[in-house]
Amino acid sequence: MTAVTGQGVGEHEITAFQVLHTQVGDAVETAVRGKRDVIDLVLVALFAGGHVLLEDVPGTGKTTLARAVAGALGGLSRRVQFTPDLLPSDVTGTSVYDPRTGQVSFRPGPVFANVVLADEINRAAAKTQSALLEVMEERTVTVDGVANAVPEPFLVVATQNPIDLDGTYRLPEAQLDRFMVRTSIGYPEPAHELDVLRPGSTAGRVAQVPTVTSPQAVTGYGRLLAGLHVAEPILGYIGELGTATRADPALRLGASTRGLRAMVRCAQVYAAAQGRHFVVPSDIQRLAAPVLAHRLVLTREALLAGTTTADVLAAAVERVPVPRPS
Amino acid sequence: MTVRVGWSAAVLVAGAVQLAAGWAGALAVLVFVAAVAVTYAIVLGAGVLRVPAGITVLVVLTVSVVGAHYVAPAAGPLDAVLDSVPRLLTAPRPAPATPELLVPGVLLVVAVALVSALTVAARALVVPAAGGAVLYVAAALLTAGQADPHGFGALALLAVIAVGWVVVDRPAALSAALVVGLAAFAVVATLLPARAPFEPRTLVTPPVTDLPVASPLPQLASWAARGDTELFRVRGPATPTRLVALADYTGATWRASSLYSPLGTVAPPRLPDGARRTETQVEVTIGDLAVPWLPTTGRPATTSVSAAVVDPDSGSMVLPSWPRKGFTYTVSSTVDAPEDADLLAAGVPDAAAARRYLALPGLPYSLAEYARRTVADARTPFEKAVAIEEVVRAGRTPEADAPVGSSYARLETFLFGAPGSPGAGEGTAEQFASAYAVLARAVGLPTRLVVGFRPVPPGAGGVAVVRASDATAWPEVYFAGWGWVPFDPVSGTDDGPGSASRRAVINRLATPTPTPSTPDTTGPPLPAPPTPEPAAAAAGSAARPWYLLVAGVPVLVVAVLGMLRAGRRLRLRRAGATGAWAYVLDSLLLAGRSPARHRPAPEIAADLAIPGAVGVAALADRAAFAPSPVPSGGTAWPLARQVRAELRRRVPWYRRVFWAVDPRVLWRR
Repeated sequence: MTAVTGQGVGEHEITAFQVLHTQVGDAVETAVRGKRDVIDLVLVALFAGGHVLLEDVPGTGKTTLARAVAGALGGLSRRVQFTPDLLPSDVTGTSVYDPRTGQVSFRPGPVFANVVLADEINRAAAKTQSALLEVMEERTVTVDGVANAVPEPFLVVATQNPIDLDGTYRLPEAQLDRFMVRTSIGYPEPAHELDVLRPGSTAGRVAQVPTVTSPQAVTGYGRLLAGLHVAEPILGYIGELGTATRADPALRLGASTRGLRAMVRCAQVYAAAQGRHFVVPSDIQRLAAPVLAHRLVLTREALLAGTTTADVLAAAVERVPVPRPS
Repeated sequence: MTVRVGWSAAVLVAGAVQLAAGWAGALAVLVFVAAVAVTYAIVLGAGVLRVPAGITVLVVLTVSVVGAHYVAPAAGPLDAVLDSVPRLLTAPRPAPATPELLVPGVLLVVAVALVSALTVAARALVVPAAGGAVLYVAAALLTAGQADPHGFGALALLAVIAVGWVVVDRPAALSAALVVGLAAFAVVATLLPARAPFEPRTLVTPPVTDLPVASPLPQLASWAARGDTELFRVRGPATPTRLVALADYTGATWRASSLYSPLGTVAPPRLPDGARRTETQVEVTIGDLAVPWLPTTGRPATTSVSAAVVDPDSGSMVLPSWPRKGFTYTVSSTVDAPEDADLLAAGVPDAAAARRYLALPGLPYSLAEYARRTVADARTPFEKAVAIEEVVRAGRTPEADAPVGSSYARLETFLFGAPGSPGAGEGTAEQFASAYAVLARAVGLPTRLVVGFRPVPPGAGGVAVVRASDATAWPEVYFAGWGWVPFDPVSGTDDGPGSASRRAVINRLATPTPTPSTPDTTGPPLPAPPTPEPAAAAAGSAARPWYLLVAGVPVLVVAVLGMLRAGRRLRLRRAGATGAWAYVLDSLLLAGRSPARHRPAPEIAADLAIPGAVGVAALADRAAFAPSPVPSGGTAWPLARQVRAELRRRVPWYRRVFWAVDPRVLWRR
């Protein structure tokens, strides 16, 4: 039960991280009101070294969220608007010949930033999507045999519009799996919406987001939290959840091992954000939908029956007995 | 607090009432209950005044011991305590409620109440339950299981303890009390009037008094001379009263036993009592008796004279200080009362066991031969006894002025003397009974002589006046399994035990004349009569009542469940914070709110909305899933108990009753 995955993390470091996490969250919240849970998920992906897929209708603050995170981080933030005619090199960068020096030099594309906002990723052609997804996984751009590393931390926030799907290229499952977290923002609560509507509100003003940390600090904490303790029963629980999705008759494809690994990473960061130096089962349950749901593929029958992967996942969570402390 | 104090006091009072069964009368109950009340009052008062517990204990114990010393003076205060228990165990049973005999009981009650009252404030509720059990067991030991013959006392005690579980919510006390209750019940079950109850009195050496009392046999003649003298008065059934049973015959005279012990001491008679016994109670007022013996109607069981001492073998009762004229006492005695048919085939114990009752030092040949010929035709011991009775009576006349004495010579004159010589064929009851006893002993019948008084019909007010002329002596023969049976060689009024059988035997023996004139060789040897097993008849009365079984099985089940639950709780307690959470889950199950298995602890705790629940869940999660968990049971358990108490408070009362023994949690996973 006390088998340590990694060397464990001290409690005072956790406290420091919790303070930082809260500061970043507060900073982002000055621009994105009333969406603390979504902000927290994005920050989980940031510290866990993953990427976020935001699926939502236009005008709910997806772009604002991504830019606010970048602002709070104090790092470089770039935005790529995906269109059908966008080329891979428009994303990754390209080699150009400099007539003055007579040298071919690499001109970095927009992915060379700490936070990359890939807007409406499903509007680009598959080739361009793949180029981005490859960078997301590899964290390097290889041009003319030269590997160029993207800066750290590296967070891609891709957005996708679930309606108005005409002329889009749906992301294949294999590529969805590369996003650590998928979530939606949704419309704000009425009270928060009033706040946003009020003239002079700071909501949406990314420029006013205070910079509260540095990319180096985020990278450091990311490495540190990878060593956070996950007890054996918790790992077993995650494994059983994966098995449950794979055995689910409503699913054509269950959670991948990469998905379960992502779950472990997210749970580590999430637990630390709660001020804990260990993961508890409720962390897993909280993260199950955002981390696993987008990796599942429904059968045709389930799809026609109007079931969603989130429903199927929730049912799987209810089936698997939670490891009790007793 | 008030409820707990009241409950613990009630438990002790229930125990004290049981304990009081070891003493005669209601005084002991009052004294013991008062002891509980006073001790509680002192301890609680001291608590209010913030007197340290140690000082309270010291003061109470010192006062008790000094008080014991004052009431029952001994060499030193400690001797008063140390002597009190043996003194109680050698006292009559039930012990008379005299101050010196009440001392050990009061000391025990005070000690138990002291511990209980001190710990009840510290919420250790197992102590009163244990205290009640201690008092109960003490009562059982004191009375050899007779304090609570049907187990009602045990059930009442258990009920009072059980009430505490419902009103005083305390799981530890509850489980432990169950265990204690079970132990008490087990002790009861073993001590109940069984075939051989444990008898603590065998552990103390009873004080033996050597009394230089002479045989009252020669007194018979002097009593006969002044027949109108009123010896004593008896209120009670008209039965023969006995003064003393004489077991030892020297060849010249009969001697009374000289070693006496207090009535309550346990020294079983050398020859056990018979299977059928009757009990009579009489009230006696002494007149001009002028002997140390106190008349009884049999073997004394209880008496109002605490100073009386008894010969454990014969049951003769003596007042060493000699009863004065007007001395009144009650005595209840048991006497063997075999039925007619019992005796016909009854055997006698072997010679080794009954040696004292067969001793005839230097028996003359004439007497031995006479006895042998007398019983030549008799087939069973009873027939022999009847034949001797007939032979001694036949042709001899009771004569008040006959020469006294019961030596061989006097008996030979009485039996064989030439007509006309003094004392030939004439005698008082002394000669008739002695002759019978010697002849019976000569043929192997264990026999003793009893000096007593003929039954006198009651006069005005149901009081019979026993006069000197009523004094007599008679022999008694011991039959194995049936006890001592009196014979009357003087008058032959056959209305005692076995009278019908006696007539039948006489009729059978009448054909060959009972008077032995010709030496006759005996026929084929008699088959040994089967000896009835006395315990077989006694076993019927020792069988446990059915309701004890009916009540005992549920008590046993409840106790076992309680123990299992207590064991589970201990295991959980050792498991620290995770155990505390399991304890909360147990409580949820008992409250009928078992959570779904997929719900994590903090969520369940949050749903409960009970203060402390979230804390327990967090601590348990930490203990279970954190690396190198810190022991947090110390913080988690008080919270868990708080949650449990709140959950228990919310359930209906009937579920609360079974809360502590509900077995479902035992297999909760």
